[in-house]
Amino acid sequence: MPEGKPVSAPLFAVNSVSLVSDGSPLLDRVDCWMPRGAVTALLGPSGAGKTLLLRLLNRFEEPDQGEILLDGMPLPELDVLALRRRVGLVGQRPVALTATVADEVRVGRSELGRSELMELLRVVRLAYLDPQRSTAGLSGGELQRLSLARALAVEPEVLLLDEPTSALDAEAATAVDEIIGSLADHGCAVVVVSHDLDRVRRLADHAVVLRAGRVVQQGPPESLSYLAEESGGTP
Amino acid sequence: MTEVAQIPTWSGVAAALSLVLVAGLVCWRLQLGLTKELVIVAARAFAQLVAIGLLLGVIFEFGGLPAAFGWLAIMVVIGGQVAGRRAAGLPSSRKVATIGLAIAAAATIGLLLGLRIIETTPTVVIPVGGMVISGAMVATGLSLRGIRDSAAAARDQVEARLALGLSAETAFAAQRQGSVRGALLPAMDSTKVVGLIALPGAMTGLILAGTEPMEAIRYQIVVMYMLLAAPAIAAAVATRLAERSLFDEAHRLRRTTTAAASS
Repeated sequence: MPEGKPVSAPLFAVNSVSLVSDGSPLLDRVDCWMPRGAVTALLGPSGAGKTLLLRLLNRFEEPDQGEILLDGMPLPELDVLALRRRVGLVGQRPVALTATVADEVRVGRSELGRSELMELLRVVRLAYLDPQRSTAGLSGGELQRLSLARALAVEPEVLLLDEPTSALDAEAATAVDEIIGSLADHGCAVVVVSHDLDRVRRLADHAVVLRAGRVVQQGPPESLSYLAEESGGTP
Repeated sequence: MTEVAQIPTWSGVAAALSLVLVAGLVCWRLQLGLTKELVIVAARAFAQLVAIGLLLGVIFEFGGLPAAFGWLAIMVVIGGQVAGRRAAGLPSSRKVATIGLAIAAAATIGLLLGLRIIETTPTVVIPVGGMVISGAMVATGLSLRGIRDSAAAARDQVEARLALGLSAETAFAAQRQGSVRGALLPAMDSTKVVGLIALPGAMTGLILAGTEPMEAIRYQIVVMYMLLAAPAIAAAVATRLAERSLFDEAHRLRRTTTAAASS
């Protein structure tokens, strides 16, 4: 089984990380890595620990054992607020935090100028929105893309996305996928939790497959038997 | 000076018991299921007030100021328990409520005494302190309950802010403001209609005791202003302290056993 090893130092290195809740292991000695400037997909059935692993990367959760390195530095040694500006996270359910589109993009960076604001809206394909428009009337897809703009405004090196398209229709999901692709092209690494194997094949450069809290496979998506099994029906 | 009102005698109090009977009759006739509770609350109010009357008599006679301030301290502790219970499930809610009440009481009463606006005697310190603490208690309970509920209900919003690298303090600001604001509205409302709907307590007491209305209202104005300050201070302090227990040192919103756990 190909166990793709990083050629250079990885962006994230997850070393033997375990997390236990009420006596049962949610993550069990997880070892994996995420390359820089590329899209990594976290795959696996529900309850496999994908979201938990994602939330460990910006310290929304803390491992009971093991360590996670960002650029070779253990996460607890970094200032946590600075870490979260480097490692953005967009959750599954998009939420509006302010009243207008412009305020929404500026939540994490109030000094953002108008031209930067318009550029961000263009990147997330919302250039047609009036910045003064209320966030109340936006569709789920628009709100999710606005959440991406809000996260990108603080100029993160990595963006963590927890099933960003699960609540969207096909058209809106495609728009988000295109944005993810363009982010990686611009050097912003992306770690995305996904159930959709087609999407993973199309988008990801690296995939980590989890099952019951353990990493069962990782490497380039095309090399993983998990993807072949799941999408090719029972062999 | 106007004439001092005649104080009801004990036989007068016994006759007033007929009013409880009227209320009981209403409860029984409408089958409200409240008759038993009505009897209990009436008896309880009687017992509590008799006990307080005796105790205050002793304090005024023999205790002096130390006993009066001791009495206020006990009220702060009891008020802290009551306010904290409103937010059951919020870590250390009773402790932060007690601290909030203590600071609010010390600041407002301290100011009034320091500037000699009110007299430094047990007969003034105890009733005025009681008003301060009970007003602040209500606001503290409401504000703590507010942040407990909003921490659970607005978890996604708070985490979305934290995920942008904002501190816990900044990420929770909207929830904090909403909670303290909601807690202060009752005091604002009662200030708005003071004298129009009901004559407030301090003024009523003074008028009953024979004070001229224009003198009585001066006292009442001081009391009303005090009842704006004390809830604001108590709610702000308690909320700020409680908020610290909602987050950990890594600016993570803890998972508390919150969400409408108590009434």
